[in-house]
Amino acid sequence: MNQGSAPAAEVKPLNILIVDDSATMRALLHRVVGLADLPIGTIYQAPNGLEALKILETQSVQAVFTDLNMPVMNGMQLLREMAKRDSWKDLLRIVISTDGSKLRREEARELNVNLYVEKPFRPEVVRDVLCQIASAEPC
Amino acid sequence: MSSAKSPALNPADLHDALQTALIEVSENAYFVFVEPADNAQFADAVGLVKDTWLKASVAFEGSFAGAVEITLPEPLGQWLVTSLLGMQGDERLGEPQQFDGVGEFANMVCGAWLSRLSDDCLFELRVPAVTRMTAGWTPLVENRARQELVCRMVTINELPMRVLIRSGQQAA
Repeated sequence: MNQGSAPAAEVKPLNILIVDDSATMRALLHRVVGLADLPIGTIYQAPNGLEALKILETQSVQAVFTDLNMPVMNGMQLLREMAKRDSWKDLLRIVISTDGSKLRREEARELNVNLYVEKPFRPEVVRDVLCQIASAEPC
Repeated sequence: MSSAKSPALNPADLHDALQTALIEVSENAYFVFVEPADNAQFADAVGLVKDTWLKASVAFEGSFAGAVEITLPEPLGQWLVTSLLGMQGDERLGEPQQFDGVGEFANMVCGAWLSRLSDDCLFELRVPAVTRMTAGWTPLVENRARQELVCRMVTINELPMRVLIRSGQQAA
């Protein structure tokens, strides 16, 4: 691998939090994240926004994939809570939702959502999203 | 949000939006192809089913309220979920996983349908409810008079699936 050139900086593994009330969707996203040619650290999972906040409080996470329609605390409520915390301002926020309405997308944008992916999605879309946000280099 | 406008509930628009949503969800997420079925084709396909049926409902509220209700035989539910998750076809799913995956299918169809119906409306979707119907039940024996807006019948891998949109707040 490019002997003689300067060693590439070690890329820090990306810790990811997947928030969805559907265990099937969490399993799917977990699998899709593994398709990305990126160093992935720990993949945390939460069934609602409240459980997601508990993980964010205690773990180092760089990217949050969240659904919107969830019981207990929905995705918009989670994003509002995240927006209140200065220490989470650099967290990457990716919404994955069946709700593709313009109004919902605008609402998400105001809450600093980096990307909004509409379900149904092809697995490659999420893989490409990860590649884009994790590195300026093409995957 | 309060700025939401009510979409025109034109039957043709409702039908077209449902067809588009069903195809998009089936093909893009679950990697299966849907074949439209008329009443006779659907009845024939139902007649070949020996397994119990699942009914997945997702209620929604917004500028109008209702529920998307999907009925399908259990083997089709199994096939959809294993396809979504990239599992081997002969891998067996536990009931919670099967119900969760079928519920998510209904959730996606509902969300995709509402999004295609109007870009300027906000809807809240309830958590999907999935139930196993009693032995011997088929969609053909159900009384369908109840507040039905749209009905779409299809086959997937020669197995029948019916998608109904009901108006009103109650799911089935």
